[in-house]
Parts: sequence; structure tokens; C-alpha cells
Amino acid sequence: MTPAKTLLSSIPLPVRRYGLAIVSVALALVVDLFLFRQSFQGVEFPIFLIAIAITSWYAGVGPSILALVLSTTAFNYYFTEPYDSFYITRADLPYYTVFVLFAVVIAWFSAVRRRVERNLQESRDRLQQEVATTTQQAELLNLTHDPIFVRDMQGVITYWNHGAEELYGWTPAQAVGRRTDELMRTVFPAPFEQIQTELLRSGRWEGELEKTKANGTAVLVSSRWSLQRDGQGRPIAILESENDITDRKRREQDIRGLNDQLTRRSADLEATNKELEAFAYSISHDLRAPLRHMVGFTELLQKNASSLLDEKGRRYMMTILESAKRMGTLIDDLLSFSRIGRAETRDTMVSLEQLVKEAQNEVSQETDGRNVTWKIGPLPHLYGDRSMLKLALVNLISNAVKFSRTRPQPEIEIGTAGDRNGAVVVFIKDNGVGFDMKYVDKLFGVFQRLHRASEFEGTGIGLATVQRIIHRHGGKVWAEAQVGTGATFYLSLPKP
Amino acid sequence: MTTIGRILLVEDDPKDTELTMTALEEYNLGNEVVIAGDGEEALDYLYCRGPFEERSGENPAVLLLDLKLPKVDGLQVLATIKADDKLKMIPVVVLTSSREERDMVASYKLGVNAYVVKPVDFHEFVNAIKELGVFWAIINEPPPGSIRKK
Repeated sequence: MTPAKTLLSSIPLPVRRYGLAIVSVALALVVDLFLFRQSFQGVEFPIFLIAIAITSWYAGVGPSILALVLSTTAFNYYFTEPYDSFYITRADLPYYTVFVLFAVVIAWFSAVRRRVERNLQESRDRLQQEVATTTQQAELLNLTHDPIFVRDMQGVITYWNHGAEELYGWTPAQAVGRRTDELMRTVFPAPFEQIQTELLRSGRWEGELEKTKANGTAVLVSSRWSLQRDGQGRPIAILESENDITDRKRREQDIRGLNDQLTRRSADLEATNKELEAFAYSISHDLRAPLRHMVGFTELLQKNASSLLDEKGRRYMMTILESAKRMGTLIDDLLSFSRIGRAETRDTMVSLEQLVKEAQNEVSQETDGRNVTWKIGPLPHLYGDRSMLKLALVNLISNAVKFSRTRPQPEIEIGTAGDRNGAVVVFIKDNGVGFDMKYVDKLFGVFQRLHRASEFEGTGIGLATVQRIIHRHGGKVWAEAQVGTGATFYLSLPKP
Repeated sequence: MTTIGRILLVEDDPKDTELTMTALEEYNLGNEVVIAGDGEEALDYLYCRGPFEERSGENPAVLLLDLKLPKVDGLQVLATIKADDKLKMIPVVVLTSSREERDMVASYKLGVNAYVVKPVDFHEFVNAIKELGVFWAIINEPPPGSIRKK
């Protein structure tokens, strides 16, 4: 900016506008006086008109009225007879009328010009604003990592954002001007005509498309199309925005595969379970019958032919009977053990104290005539299957009674041993023969026994049953013992 | 003299039959026992057809029914009896090796009158059979139209 311009623009606008009126009229007056002295007559009036015209063109209505008043005054004073006086004759009136009319016409023109100028300025501003907005939007579209591009109705790409470049590998310069289906070798899920019809009808379409990147690898995208129409409603362009769902699809497929596998496995498991059930059923029916016959006919033999046999023969017969009976017990135990795994649990709130009392009653036959000291502490309520939990307690308590029967003063203690990870721990402790911790792993196995049959009877299925019941309740069972001083069994069961 | 009702024993295993008969004979109940070797034969007897065409049409005082039978199994025999107006009054006692709950539930649903699991122990077995025989053949008043012998 030049210094003069700075000086000029520092003057307030009204001063400048009215100043222009005064200056232009003054200049016209100077020129007129000069020409008048040189005896050029008749040009005064047009020169004042020029001054008024300039003023109204550049400074607007107010200043042009001022210029009109000043010009009229100066013209009247200097250039109408009598000269150098304000006296007005009738003959001067046409001059003034023309002055005023001219000034009005000029002012009108100038007002129109200003309006046009203002409109022009406004539309220029608006255009600039639009350009700025559009540029900003295009930049925003570039910011997103989602591929977005625009194609015209012939499928030729007109816009290609950064996300599209990132996914497909073509720069905007390479992509714009190419046909989308040729460039990306699009595979449509339905005939293209059908998609096009849907798009033209509803203005949008969504679907999954297979495309090929610049480097030749396939990519699966979820694509959303929006149709752009012009003012007359004619379709002009399609905006496509996409998501790369290749990985997601692969994961979905993996999950589906795993699910199928799981379904197959659970079907296998169900079949196995069914087989097991059928097996248990046929054991229950068919295995017990021959046993009954063995026992029955041996008994009959014993009754009818006992006198024909010697001592040895009678002992053999006893052994046959005992073994057959033991086999019967084993089969029954095994069946009830397998039933625990198959049966559905019926869970209710169960008082452990009550269950212990009932279990004590069940083993009372074994404790009869023995001086067992019971120490039973307060016991919690639990949520579980009553009959199963009772079976577990009966097994544990009858074990405690059995393995402490060689003691002169058997002592059995039942109580809680605090909490453990939201589970309550119950213990059953005896002062019996105990066992060697070396074999603790075998303790809960089916048919596993840590004592000789001649010392302590049993089928070796009681603790396996206990473990199965506790596991079905989401709990744990473990034991600690010392040979000769006793054993303690712990149950941890989830709190209700 | 007490009257003895006729017992129809449906049992496919001759050894079981022999043991049962031994137990029943011990209490002099053996004479009034008819033995059917499978479900079909039992139904033939009840409906007086085939080999039993000639018999008088009275019903037995009690039916001792094994469940696992060839051809027509015990539950089917039970279902047929309980669905027949003429036969459904015959008391039926299931006598089986199986302690399976589903057999028991199915039998009771079909309307069985008693369900007995054959004990492995011979003495218990003999006792069970004896008690069954005495109760159903002697103590119990069978429905009208049953065969009874003075």
C-alpha cells in the first residue's frame, strides 16, 4: 500500500465523500473562471454538470446534493447577469431546472450502479465461501481412512480420497478418469442391472463387493452407494464409501468353522453319552441276572448237598457265594456312580448341618456299640442337589467311621475351615489309620483302594463318587493324612 | 382251606424261572403257576389264542412280569394289558433285574401295581418271591373273573 493511499484511507469516509463534492465543484469553478476570463462563454454550465456527475458517481446522493447546491450558487453568483450577485431572474430558471433534473438522473444511475456493485460483491463473497467450504470438505474426506470415491453415471471416477488410495494402492491421479469396475475388477453379489435399478429407485444401495487391489490381492469390502441428483432430479453421480471387511469375514469364517466343530463334537459327546447310558442299562439288566443265578444255585446246592461235601468243599462254596455277592455290590456301586454323572441335578438351598445329621443316622449301624466322639461345628447353608450332597457326606462320614474303628477312642470332627475364593471349605477329620500321602493321587480314582480288603472292606468307589458330586457342584475335594494318626477331607463348595 | 389264585409268570430265562419256582414251591404255591417264555406267549395266554385257545377265559389272579423279554417286551405287555378293558383289572407285578429309574417310572406311568427288583442275594430273593406269592395269590382279593382254586 502506498503512503498516499494510507493517508487517504485514514480520513473518515463521510469527510472524504463530502470533500469530493466541495473539491470537484471548486475545481469546476476555477476552470470556469479561467475560461470566463479568456472569454470562452457557454461552457460553465456543462463543466459544473461534470463536477456533479463525478460527485454522484463516486460519493453518492448526499454529496451530489451538496455539489448541486454549491454549483447552483457559484453559477448564479459568477456566471448569470447581473454578475457577482445572487440575484435570480426568470430567464435563469430553466438552467436550474436542468441542473436539478440532471443531478437526479445522475444520482439514480449511481444508485443503480452501487446496487449492481454490491450484488456482485456479495455473489463473489458467497462463491469464495463455497469454494472454501468445498475445499475443506474434500480435505475432511481425505482425512478419513475409509475409502470414498465418486463416479459419474458412466462409472468414470471423478473423486478418489486418501482412504481409497491407502486401500487400493492407486493415487487420485491414477484413479480419476478410469472406470471403477475395470480398475478394481468388481465382482457384484447380484446382477449389476438389478443393483442399478435399486439405486435409481431408492437413491442408495448397500452390499458386499469383491474387488482387486493395484497389487493384485483380493479384498472384500462392505460398500454403501449414494446417488447424487441435479436440480431437475436427474442422477449425475454416485458416491461410494467402503469398509475393508476382509479380516472380519475371515474371522467370521473361522468362528463359523469352530462352531461347526463344536456342534459336531457335542453331537459326538451326546452319542457317547447315549452309548454309555445304553451300556449302563444293559449292565443293570444282563450282568446281574447270571450273578443271581450263581448265588441262587450255589445256595440250593449248599442246602441240598451240603452233607455230601467235606470241609474244603463247603469253604469253596462259601467263597463262590461271597465273590458273587461282592460282584453284585461292585456292579450296583458302579451303576450308581455312573448315574451321578448322567442324572440332572435339582438345586435347592440345603442345610449342611441337617444333611450331616441325616448322614450320621445312615451310618449309625456301623457306630453301634462303639464309643465314637463326634465334634460337629456350625455348618453353612449351600445351594445344591440335596440327595447328591447327602450321598457325598454319607460316603465321607462312613469312611471316617470305618477307618477309625481300630481306635480305642474314635474321634470324628466336622466343621468349616473358612473361605477360599468365594467358596466355603468344609472338613471331615478322623483319628483313624490315615494313609500315605504318597498315594494321594490314587485316592479319588474309581476302584482305587489304599487298604487291603482283609483290613477294610469296600469297593473303592465311594471317594470317586464324592469327587464326581462335588465337581458337579463346581467345587473341589482334597485330602491330607498321616499314616497312623488320621485323615482330613476338605470340600470347597461355591457360596450361595 | 385258603383259595390260591393263579399266577402267570412271564420270564424268558429258565434259570430265573427255576429259582422263582423253587421259591414258590417252598410255600406250596407252585401248582397254580403258568409260565410264559416271552411277551407274545403271555398275551396269547391272556387273549386265549394260539396254544391257549382251549383254556377257560378267566384271568390269572396276578401277573409276575419280567421287563426284558424277547419279541414283545415287558413294558409293551403291560401297556397292552392296561389298555384293554377286560384285562386291565389283572394286578401286574414287575419283577426285574433292573434298578433303572426310567423303567420304574415307565412302569408306574402305565399303571403297574408293584415294582420289585430281584435281589442278588438268594435268601432275599426267596423271601421276596414268597411274599409276593403269598400276598397276591392268597391274601389279595383278586378282581372278579379270576382263576382261583380251593
